[in-house]
Amino acid sequence: MKRIAARSIYTLIVLLLSSIAVFYAIRLSGGDAVSARLPASASFEEREEFRELLGLNDPVHEQYFRYMGRLLTFDLGKSLTNNADIFDMLTHHGKNSLILGAAAFGLVFAIGVPLGILAAVRRNSWADGSVMTFSVAGMAVPNFWLALLSVWLFASTLGWLPSAGCCSTKQLILPAVVLAMEGIALTVRMTRSAMLENLGQDFVRTLRAGGLSEASIVGKHVLRNAMVPIISLAGLRIGQIVGYALVVETIFGWPGLGQVLVNAVLRRDYPVAQFFSLVLITIVVLSNWLADVGYTVANPRLRKT
Amino acid sequence: MSPETAAPATNGANGASGAPVLSVRNLHTAVATPDGSFDVVHDVSFDINPNEVLCLVGESGCGKTITALSIMRLLPTPPVRITSGEIVFDGNDLTHLAERQVRDVRSERISMIFQDPLTSLDPVFTVGQVMTEVIRTHRDATKAEAREMSVDILRAVGLPAPEERFDSYPHELSGGMRQRVMIATALVLDPEILIADEPTTALDVTVQAQILERLRAEQQDRNMSMLLITHDLAVVASIADRVAVMYAGEIVEEAPVDELFSDPRHPYTQGLLRALPHVSRKRRDLVPIAGLVPPAQMMPPGCRFAPRCPHALEQCWDEHPSYEVNGSVGLRCFNPQPF
Repeated sequence: MKRIAARSIYTLIVLLLSSIAVFYAIRLSGGDAVSARLPASASFEEREEFRELLGLNDPVHEQYFRYMGRLLTFDLGKSLTNNADIFDMLTHHGKNSLILGAAAFGLVFAIGVPLGILAAVRRNSWADGSVMTFSVAGMAVPNFWLALLSVWLFASTLGWLPSAGCCSTKQLILPAVVLAMEGIALTVRMTRSAMLENLGQDFVRTLRAGGLSEASIVGKHVLRNAMVPIISLAGLRIGQIVGYALVVETIFGWPGLGQVLVNAVLRRDYPVAQFFSLVLITIVVLSNWLADVGYTVANPRLRKT
Repeated sequence: MSPETAAPATNGANGASGAPVLSVRNLHTAVATPDGSFDVVHDVSFDINPNEVLCLVGESGCGKTITALSIMRLLPTPPVRITSGEIVFDGNDLTHLAERQVRDVRSERISMIFQDPLTSLDPVFTVGQVMTEVIRTHRDATKAEAREMSVDILRAVGLPAPEERFDSYPHELSGGMRQRVMIATALVLDPEILIADEPTTALDVTVQAQILERLRAEQQDRNMSMLLITHDLAVVASIADRVAVMYAGEIVEEAPVDELFSDPRHPYTQGLLRALPHVSRKRRDLVPIAGLVPPAQMMPPGCRFAPRCPHALEQCWDEHPSYEVNGSVGLRCFNPQPF
């Protein structure tokens, strides 16, 4: 419990520091929110007036405290580009991202763990060899390239799947697989080595001496021991998926949080960019926190004290 | 029966009689290496009789544990496997049973406990979860019945607060408690034979004595046979009915415990006893056995102990002595010596 409480405080500190970093970073990145809103023909005075109106001429720390104050009262503001309500954007695009992210996260474990078990149980066989080759390829290929390659193969050449868009199941397949690929590759590797490590432990021999079936020893006892590191790194997989979602959503035209954030940054739409950066950071930080809690739950040796 | 295939036909010291529960005959177990296959257990034969404790003694690496794992069919195969010989139990040759049939024997009829109780228990399951699974693998028992059986046996082996310990994880227990848990799990199905591989080596001395006493008591209460593997002659003296001494993969001498300690015949056994401190032999120096055990791939063609033997003859260097059985004593030596 103490461990979880300590991690929670740490999590809050990380969130606070990253909100400051995001706020400054977007203002230091050049460009101006005003050009996002006003037409190119707007005069200098009009631009200056608009800046004043948004408070952009105030010192950055004043803007920060004003912004955080509004944020804490759930006043998220509106987009500078199209005046859309940010809360509506969050629910609409958040739902799309959640579908894509959950699909990718599910694929990471639904494919990664069984393949890893297969590779471990059939060690040094052709099955092990192919799984590990696939894993190396999955880690080595950058996802933007994999995305383009899969569009070319499955959409343009074979015509099996649509190349982009939202939100049918068919449209979900390609982005979800691309998004999951590196996580699958890593999970395969981790599962295999954790299974092999635990298969060599003394307790396996004790269980065999107890007359238990190989299915129970491998599928229950060894797997449960091997899941400790896998669960503890599951949170990191979430972080990875959130990060890659920026690229993958943009390539596949999937209208999720990542795509919104990329567009907002390109247009210097400060309120939208700030808020959605914070949302993504919160997800990453929370998933790391979850990983810690998960590790404690998966590993009885850490549960007490 | 030729001398090669025989084992000393003895009964337990406590007078039990009848056919042996388990007979190991000319067992060869080999390890495959890139340089070829080498016997780590070579032509080993012995019987385990009803209701007796047979100790298998020898220094590290002499093949004691591999012999035990061969009986349980728990060898790490590959690279280690049984190459020839028989292990007869209840009319079946265990070396030829299908994996499925071997599983029915394990724990239900022959149980085994291991040296290191710290690493030998599954760390992410509770004591009770594993015991329940072992029981329900072999018997039709409800979870409540399995729990009752487990708590009873945990109490019997001297574990304090067995109801609470049933739900404990191994890391919450001390070394001695873990060994008691392993013993309880091994005994819960009331097996005919318990194989204990250095069960007290990893424990501190006071706990060692308690565990040995408990093992001896359980063996007698249950009319169970026990094969105890140890390198500690003090343990042998306190618990054994019969002793088999192993050297470099072979049994070199076997005898009832009193006879072995008072009248050892094989120079290696004599060397082991001379290397023991003894209260009655005041101020006498301990005599070590000179030299080292030859590695498995460089075994001498003659007697394996000849290079270290003070009484080696010409014949000992050239010819491999066979295992001769005479009454209750077995011996593999051309030139046995009075002690």
